[in-house]
Amino acid sequence: MDLVLQLLFTGIGIGSVYALVALGFVLIFRATNVVNFAQGEFSMVAAFLMVVFSVKIGLPYWVAFIIALICMAGLGAVFNLAVYYPLRHRTYLPVIISTIGASIFIANTTLAIHGPEPEVLSGWFDTPGFMLGPVYFDNQYVLIIVVTALLVALQYWFFEHTLLGKKLQATSQDKEMAALLGIPVAVMIMITFVYSAVIGGIAGILVAPVLFVSIGMGATIALKAFAATIIGGFGEVTGAIIGGLALGVIETFGAAYISVPYKDGFAFLVLIAFLIFRPQGIFGERVAEKA
Amino acid sequence: MSSSETTASAGAIRPRLRWGVPAYLLLVLAAMALAIVVPKTGYVLNISLQATTYAIAVLGLTVVLGLCGQINLAQAAFFGLGAYAVGIGQTEHGLNFWACLLIGTGVAAGFGALLGASTLRLGGHYLAMVTISFQQIVTLVLINWIPVTKGPDGVRAIPRPGFLADGSTYLAFCIAVLAAVGFLVWRLRDSRLGRAMRAVRDNELAAGVAGIDVYRTKVTAFALSAILGGVGGGLFAGGFSYVSPDQFSFAESVVFLTMVLLGGAASPVGAVIGTGLLILIPEWLRFLKSIPGLYLAIYGAAVILIMVFMPDGIWGFLRGRLDRLKRAVLPVRSGGALQLSGGGQGADTVLEVRGLSKHFGGLKAVDEVDLTIRRGGVHALIGPNGSGKTTTLNVLSGLYKATAGSIVLDGRDITNLPPHARTQAGLGRTFQNIRLWRSMTALENVMVGAERPGSPAGSDPAALMARARAALAFVELEDRADEVVASFSYGHQRAVEIARALAGDPALLLLDEPGAGLNSSEKVELRNLLKRISARGLTILIIDHDMTLVSEVAQHITVLNFGRRIADGYSADVLKHPDVIAAYLGAAPDVPA
Amino acid sequence: MHLTRRGFTTALAGTIAAPAVLRSAYAQGATVKIGMVMPMTGAAAESGSFAQTGAKIALEQVNKAGGVLGKPLELVYEDDQTTNPGAVLAFSKLASQSDIVAFLGSIRSTQMHAMAPDMLKAGKPVGFGGTDPNLTKLGNPWLFRFRPNDSYSGRVIAQYGAKELGKKKWAIVHSTDAFGTAGAKALEEALPDNGSTLALKQGYANQSQDFTPVVLAVRQSGADILGTYFTFETDLGIFARQLRQLGVNIPWVGSPSIVNVSALKLAGPALYNTFGVADYAEDSSDASKAFGKAYRDIRKVAPDNQSSWTYDAVTCLAMAMNKAGSTDPNKVREAMLAIRGHKGAEGEYNFDKNGDGLHGYNIVKNEKGEIKFDKRIDFPPNLG
Repeated sequence: MDLVLQLLFTGIGIGSVYALVALGFVLIFRATNVVNFAQGEFSMVAAFLMVVFSVKIGLPYWVAFIIALICMAGLGAVFNLAVYYPLRHRTYLPVIISTIGASIFIANTTLAIHGPEPEVLSGWFDTPGFMLGPVYFDNQYVLIIVVTALLVALQYWFFEHTLLGKKLQATSQDKEMAALLGIPVAVMIMITFVYSAVIGGIAGILVAPVLFVSIGMGATIALKAFAATIIGGFGEVTGAIIGGLALGVIETFGAAYISVPYKDGFAFLVLIAFLIFRPQGIFGERVAEKA
Repeated sequence: MSSSETTASAGAIRPRLRWGVPAYLLLVLAAMALAIVVPKTGYVLNISLQATTYAIAVLGLTVVLGLCGQINLAQAAFFGLGAYAVGIGQTEHGLNFWACLLIGTGVAAGFGALLGASTLRLGGHYLAMVTISFQQIVTLVLINWIPVTKGPDGVRAIPRPGFLADGSTYLAFCIAVLAAVGFLVWRLRDSRLGRAMRAVRDNELAAGVAGIDVYRTKVTAFALSAILGGVGGGLFAGGFSYVSPDQFSFAESVVFLTMVLLGGAASPVGAVIGTGLLILIPEWLRFLKSIPGLYLAIYGAAVILIMVFMPDGIWGFLRGRLDRLKRAVLPVRSGGALQLSGGGQGADTVLEVRGLSKHFGGLKAVDEVDLTIRRGGVHALIGPNGSGKTTTLNVLSGLYKATAGSIVLDGRDITNLPPHARTQAGLGRTFQNIRLWRSMTALENVMVGAERPGSPAGSDPAALMARARAALAFVELEDRADEVVASFSYGHQRAVEIARALAGDPALLLLDEPGAGLNSSEKVELRNLLKRISARGLTILIIDHDMTLVSEVAQHITVLNFGRRIADGYSADVLKHPDVIAAYLGAAPDVPA
Repeated sequence: MHLTRRGFTTALAGTIAAPAVLRSAYAQGATVKIGMVMPMTGAAAESGSFAQTGAKIALEQVNKAGGVLGKPLELVYEDDQTTNPGAVLAFSKLASQSDIVAFLGSIRSTQMHAMAPDMLKAGKPVGFGGTDPNLTKLGNPWLFRFRPNDSYSGRVIAQYGAKELGKKKWAIVHSTDAFGTAGAKALEEALPDNGSTLALKQGYANQSQDFTPVVLAVRQSGADILGTYFTFETDLGIFARQLRQLGVNIPWVGSPSIVNVSALKLAGPALYNTFGVADYAEDSSDASKAFGKAYRDIRKVAPDNQSSWTYDAVTCLAMAMNKAGSTDPNKVREAMLAIRGHKGAEGEYNFDKNGDGLHGYNIVKNEKGEIKFDKRIDFPPNLG
C-alpha cells in the first residue's frame, strides 16, 4: 500500500508536469489549429533564463522569475511573427514543419550561446521534501501540482468570465465570425502565443529543480505532453489536465509493475488505444465534416 | 494540401514522354557510370550512399504525403525495419541479402498497412500522433528486445551480395534502384491509383462519392510508403554494414519529413532534391563547428525560411518559374459525343426509398420519408431551409448512415453500402458547396469520375481519357481540359463537377443546389445543360431553392418540411398544394397537419 | 604577479615567434595531423568539449617538446553530432584527408562499432575510449583503447564491494544503452567469483524523468549494496536524489559517470559517500596529478575521464610515431603495441595484442563533493 501511494504521488507529480506543458499545446491548437512542436523549447529557454538571472547574476528568486517570464512573453510574440503568422493561411503541415524548424533553431541557439553543460536551479523551498506517513512528498512536485491546479482555475475564470477570454474563445471557434464581430483576430492569436510561451516558461522553471536544466529537457517532456493532449482531447483544457495526469500515473505504475525500460512504450500504447477507440479524447467532441 | 496547387498544370499525360524516357535512362546510366568510375574518398562514398538510400525512403513520403496527403512521422521506423531485416537476417540467420531485403520490405509493408488502417477513423494531428507512437514503440523494441535485435549494441558486419561488395558498385546499384523507384513514383501520379490518391488528398468526401474506395486508397498509400522506407533501409544497412537503434529514431523521421517538404512533396524530383540538400547542408555548415550548435541553429532557421518563402518546396518553386515560361496550349483532340446509358432499360422505377429516417440525437432531420423516382425525367426535392433536403441527399449517397428505412437503386438494396460502393452501383452526385479536387486539372477530375468500376470506359487509359473529354465537351469546357480547376469561375467549377458525375455514366444523378451562387446567365446555361442531360434519358434528382428553375426542369416534385414529406406528385399539382404554399410562405396551414 | 625579467623576455619572444613558426609550418603543410571525432552538438556536446581540452593539452606538450618527427603536431576535429551516422560521416570525412596519419575515435562504444568498418578501411591507428570489451576483439588491428574496458570495471566493482566494503547482495541499476547493458553484464558475471549474489538487475531507458519505480525496486529487493551503470549525468542526478529521498542509503559503487564533473554538480550531496570506479583519478599517480594541474589551469574545474583518455591517446600516438621514426601506419602500429609501462593520466599503459592499453581501475570516494582516491585495482594483462 505504501508503495502504491508513493507511486501515485510520483505519477501525479510527473503527470502535472505533462499537464502544464499540455496547457500550452491546447491553447495554441485552439487558436490556430496547429500543434506547436517547439512548445517544449519554451520550457527549456525559460529554465535557462532563470539560471542566468537567478544563479549567474544573482537576482532574488522572484525578480528573476518575473524577468524570465517577461522574456518568455517576448519570445512568444517573436515566435508568432516569425513562425506562425507568415503561414497562417496555409494548411497545418507547413506550419508543423515550421515549428519543428523553430524547435531545432531555439535548442541549438541556446546551445551556441550557453554551451552544453547542464545546470542546477534550486527551487523555491529550502528543504527538499517531507514524509507524511510512509510517503515521501517532494516539495517541488507538491508545488507543481498546486500551481497546475491554480493555473487551470485561473484559465477557467479567464475564459469564462472575462471579455478578453470570451473574445479569445470566439476567435478559436470561428475566426471569420470573430472578425465579422469586430474582434481583432491577429491580436487574439498574438495574445495566445504570448500566453502559451509564458505558461511553457512557468512549466520549465517549475520542473528545473527536479529534472535539471539541460538543452534536451524540453523535447522529452513535450512529446509526452503532446500525447497527454491527445488523450485528453484537443478541444478542452480540462482534458489536457486529465490526460497529463493519466499519462503520468500509467507510466509510473507501468514502470513499477511491468517493465522500466518500456516505460515510454506504455504511454504510447495507451495513446494508440485511445486514438483507435476514442479518437475524440476523454472530453473532446467529434467534429464531423459536413457535406 | 494546398501547396501543390501550382505544380499540377502540366496536363494529364505528359507529351514529352516520348523522348523523356530515353533521356532519363541515359542520365541514370551516366550517374551509375560516374559512381563506378570516378575515384572517391570514403567520405564522398558514405555521403552518396546515405543520400541515395535516404532518397528512396523519402520517395515513400512523396507517395503518402505528396500524393495522398496523409502525414507519416514514422518513416525512420520503416527504414529501420528494412535495415534490421537485412542486418539480422544475414548475420544471425544466414539468409541471403535479397531474401532479407524482401522480408524487411514485407514486414514494413504490413505495418504500413496497419498504420494506414488507423486512418479509417483518424486524420491530421491524430494520424501524426499514431505514427509518432508507432515510431517510439519500434525504437523501444529495437533497444530492449536484445535476443532478437541485439539491443543497443546494434548489428555489425552486415555483408553485401558478392558482386556488389565494392563500395562504388554498390552505390551504382543503389542509384539504379533509386532511379527505378523514382520513375515508378513519377508514373504513379498519373495512374488510376495516383489520381485516386490525389482526389483523397484534395477532398476526401468527394473522392468517396466519386467512387473511390478512400480507405483502401489510404492503406495502399501507407503500405507503398512503408515499402519504399523498407527498401531504402535495407540498402542503407548493406551500405554502412552497421545498424543500431538510434539511427532510426523519431528525430530521423522528422528529418525525412523535412526532406520531402523542403524539396517539394508533389514530385519525386523534389524528394531527391530535398534529401540531397538536407544531407549536404549540415555537412557544408561543418566549418561553423567552432561554436557548438550554431550550424544546427542555422539549419533550423533555414527550415522555417523555406516553409515561409517556398511553400511548394524547392522543386515546386522552380517548377512555378519554368511553367511561367512555357505555357504552350496543347492541341485538343475531341473525345466525340458523350454516351449516357441512364442505367439501361431497367424497371420503370430507378430509386425506391421507403421510411427513410435520419436522427441526430433527438433531432429528426429526416423522418420516415418515402420517395419514388421514375426512370427518365427530372425529379425535384424541395422544401424550406432546414427541411432535411441535403440530409436526405447525404443519406442517399452514403455520407450519413440511415437511422431507419431502405434505399433501393435499380432493384439493388444500397442502404448499407459505403459511398464509393453506391457510386459503383450507379449513383452520381454533386455538392452544394462545390467539391472538386482543386489541385488537379479539369480533365483529371473528370477522369476519376469516368473510372467508376462498370463505367463504359473500362480501364483502357485512352478510352478513359476520351470519355472524360467527351464529358467535358458535353458541359462545353473541353478547351480548358488541361487547366487546374482552382482557377475556374464558380459556374465552370459547377459544370466540371457535373461532368465528373456524368463521366461515370450513372443511373441516377443527384444535384445538390446546382443553381446556388450562379448569376442569371450561368443559370440559363445550367437550365439548358439539365435539359440536355435529361434528353439523353438520364434520371436526375435535384434540390434547389430557385422555384423558376425547378418548375422549368422538373416533372415531379417532392416537398419536405421539418424532415417529413408533405407533398409529392406532378410539378404543377404540387406547387398549388396549400401545405406547400404555407410551408414556403410561413403561414399556418388551414388544416392541422 | 611575480615576473622575472628573463621570464618576461622569454615569454615575449615565444609569443612573437610562435605564430610565425606555426604559419611557416602551415605554409609547407609540414604538420603531422591527427584527426579527432568528437561530439560538438547533441546530447554529449559537453563531454566533447572536455575531450577537446584534454587533447589540446597533450598537443601543446608534444609541440613544446619538439613535435613529431621534427614537425608540429596538429589536431583536426569533426563533429559526430552524438549520433552514429554522424560519427560515420565525421570519421570518413577525416579519413578522406590523406595527410592525417592517426585518429582519435569516440568514447561511445556504439559509435565505435559504427565507425569500425571505415576504420579498418582507413588502415591507420585509431585511439579510442569506448569501453565495450568486444571492440578490441573485432580483429581490427588499428584500434587502440585508452581506457580500461568494461570487463575490468565489473570485476573491480564486484571485488571492491566484497573485499573492501564486505557487502555481497547486489542490486544493479543500468542504462539500457550499449554501455549500460555491457557493464551490468560484466558486473553480474563477476559476482560469483567474489562470493556475491544478485538481488536485482534493473535497466532503465536513457533520459527518464523519474526513477521512483526503480528506487522502490531497489528498496524492496533487500540488497545491501548498489552497483550502477549510468550514461547521462542528468539521469544519474535525478536517480541519486530520489534514492536518498526515499531513504535508500546502502553503499553504492558506480561506473565512471558517478564521479564526473557534471554529475557532482547536479546531484550535489546526494552522491556524498558513494564510490566510483574511475579510469582517471587525480591522486592516483604523479602523471595524473600533473595532468590535473594542467587541466585546471585551463578549465578551472577538475578533469575527468572525458579528457584524460584523449590526453593519453595524443601523447601515446605522438610517442609511437617518434619511436617508429615514421608516420607509416604499420610502423606506428608496431610502436604502439610495444608501449610498456608508460605512465599516463589514466594509469600505466601496457598494450596487449588486442590493443587494450589499461587493465585496471581506480576506486575513488566522494567525500562531501571532493573526489578522493582510494585504491587502484589492476589485473595482470595478457601481453602474450
